[in-house]
Amino acid sequence: MSKRDIRAVGIAGWGRTLGAAIISLIYFFPVLFIILTAFKTRQDALAWPMKFIFAPTLSNFVSVFFRTSVEGGDAEATGFGLYFFNSVFIGGTSVLLALIIGTAAAYGFSRFPLRGNDTYLFMILTTRMMPPIIAIIPIFVLFRIFGLSGTYVGIIALYTAFNLPFSVWMVKSFFDDLDRDIEDAARMDGSGEWRVFKKICLPQVYAGLAATFVFAVILTWNEFVFALMLTSPETRTVPAQIVRTIGGSMGVDWGLMSALETLFIIPVVLVTFALQNQLLRGVTFGTIRR
Amino acid sequence: MELVIGDVQKRFGAVEALRGVSLTVPSGEFFAILGPSGAGKTTLLRIIAGIEKPDGGRILIGGRDLNDLPVRARDTAMVFQTFALYPHLSTFENLAYPLREAKVPREDIKRRVAEVAEMLRLTHTLARKPSTLSGGEQQRCAIGRALIRRPKLLLLDEPLTNLDAKLRHDTRAEFKRLHRELRTTTIVYATPDQLEALSMGARVGVLRQGRITQVDTPSALYETPDDDFVASLVGDPPINLVPGTLRESGGGRSIDLPFLGLDASPWRGALGGFPAGTKLTVGLRPQAIWPAVAAEAGPRFPARVYLTEPLGDVTILDIVAGGDTRLRMVLPQEQAYRIAVDDAIECAVDPDQICLFAQETGTSIRRTAMGARAEAAA
Ligand SMILES: Nc1ncnc2c1ncn2[C@@H]1O[C@H](COP(=O)(O)OP(=O)(O)OP(=O)(O)O)[C@@H](O)[C@H]1O
Ligand SMILES: [Mg+2]
Repeated sequence: MSKRDIRAVGIAGWGRTLGAAIISLIYFFPVLFIILTAFKTRQDALAWPMKFIFAPTLSNFVSVFFRTSVEGGDAEATGFGLYFFNSVFIGGTSVLLALIIGTAAAYGFSRFPLRGNDTYLFMILTTRMMPPIIAIIPIFVLFRIFGLSGTYVGIIALYTAFNLPFSVWMVKSFFDDLDRDIEDAARMDGSGEWRVFKKICLPQVYAGLAATFVFAVILTWNEFVFALMLTSPETRTVPAQIVRTIGGSMGVDWGLMSALETLFIIPVVLVTFALQNQLLRGVTFGTIRR
Repeated sequence: MELVIGDVQKRFGAVEALRGVSLTVPSGEFFAILGPSGAGKTTLLRIIAGIEKPDGGRILIGGRDLNDLPVRARDTAMVFQTFALYPHLSTFENLAYPLREAKVPREDIKRRVAEVAEMLRLTHTLARKPSTLSGGEQQRCAIGRALIRRPKLLLLDEPLTNLDAKLRHDTRAEFKRLHRELRTTTIVYATPDQLEALSMGARVGVLRQGRITQVDTPSALYETPDDDFVASLVGDPPINLVPGTLRESGGGRSIDLPFLGLDASPWRGALGGFPAGTKLTVGLRPQAIWPAVAAEAGPRFPARVYLTEPLGDVTILDIVAGGDTRLRMVLPQEQAYRIAVDDAIECAVDPDQICLFAQETGTSIRRTAMGARAEAAA
């Protein structure tokens, strides 16, 4: 930034920054509310007006994993360790699979169009046009028939299938944006088709792949309906268990719920921050020349 | 390597990009393809490079059909109009890429990249990505990547367009020297710029709307263009093309221009087959017109100066003659400084430097006459 730019920011710039801060705060408030509540005792959590200054406690986070159901009884594992592992494992595996298959398909659609290419692409997209709930009964029946209910293979295959259309379309748009002369140059330089893909095309869309990865992770991480219906206690993911935790004979434990949700968003936040630079380049692909 | 192109055709939907191009470029020649934008230069080079399939015709490289040659055996390199540098690789890796693909040992790659970078003044950019290079550096990087394999056939697609005037001049000289050093490398150089084509090509092929209209040495193109298109493309400032009519007058024939009656006897042979009244296009090089000196013999005409463009060493004069015919002429500075806008001047023409074309077809009458003679002989 040159000196002139800095001066140009001036008062109007400060006003804009302030406005942006306020709007961000409004958006962020629910999340902030949850995070604060996670550190509150039961009394603080229910206090009104809302407390911003209080003595923080980690007890909610402990009870996410170990809980005493009876006053004074022994702490029992809640199983959330496993559910978190399941969420990461199922989500990560299916998103990666979708990205790998999707990238291969996208490259094919982009570079080796078939007769009726657009029709196929449209058909792929139609699978995302209806709410997934519509498909739940046939899928439920299918899972029963093939014995996939409650298995890792089943839910991973399902999530992969659901992430594929999105991956194919998004990654294809990145491949479409590449300059074809660059590939031709590589061919002249002696690269075969596989090397052209691996050494020339793929590295140019890394940013786009990262963006696709993050979006798919967020979608998958939050998936609830299928997780509820098609997982067993062994393969259950966090969202499917949260709903089971909400109720209970003692009413809703807000502190516990908040701690759970705070833990739940951490992995997504980490992934997003880790890929932040790529993400920005990925979503602005094409609009800004690299 | 010798390059033979036989009746190559290519169409993109409704666009006929190439309509039967035939060329033979002997081994080691610097061949220039001159054509305006959209003439099909890039398409032709891409077909020679083997990255575009022609719809018809064939390409022989070193006597072997392009289709039978695996890419690596073609020994062909190309500098793309868009540079086509690998954006994710540094200058070093861009230059090294063809060598890596050819499995050249590491140390050799290092050495040769250093050499090429040195030659093209790219050493200071080796660690940087193409997007951080200036236009000229990107262009030199693209040239370096093509040269590093020491190809037997080098295809250059408007490689100088992104350089500033001085660098362009330097690089032009560099190319010529390079070609001399490489010796056996055949170079095909496509450009819309007549100066580049004429100054570098040992021979120049003129491409117009997908057809090669003339292949000749630069001086032959300039002096005896086959048609008015070539005439207008070659030479700077561009040739004056004036409509004229062939007349029978008393003893001889003459060509009537709006501002001048030209004695047609110098072209007696070539004009023989044309009846009186034939419409002609008369090409007058700006260099073939000058302010007449009193005692001078030969054709002359009065004109008025319309505007002057001083270029330093020479001045281009726009003059109006015979009512509303605009003509361009070039004068050395020492003759031009006395002439001002709106001056009335007397101009002389050198008949030896005049080119005649049949107005209807644009074909030069010299060529038409040759064709007629060939027909008569057959
Ligand atoms: N892939 C393509 N699809 C459709 N038309 C094309 C394609 N490539 C070239 N053309 C057309 O073919 C003709 C010749 O194009 P080409 O790029 O060979 O011209 P050129 O001589 O290289 O022009 P320039 O000097 O502007 O680069 C043009 O009319 C162009 O629009
Ligand atoms: Mg071109």
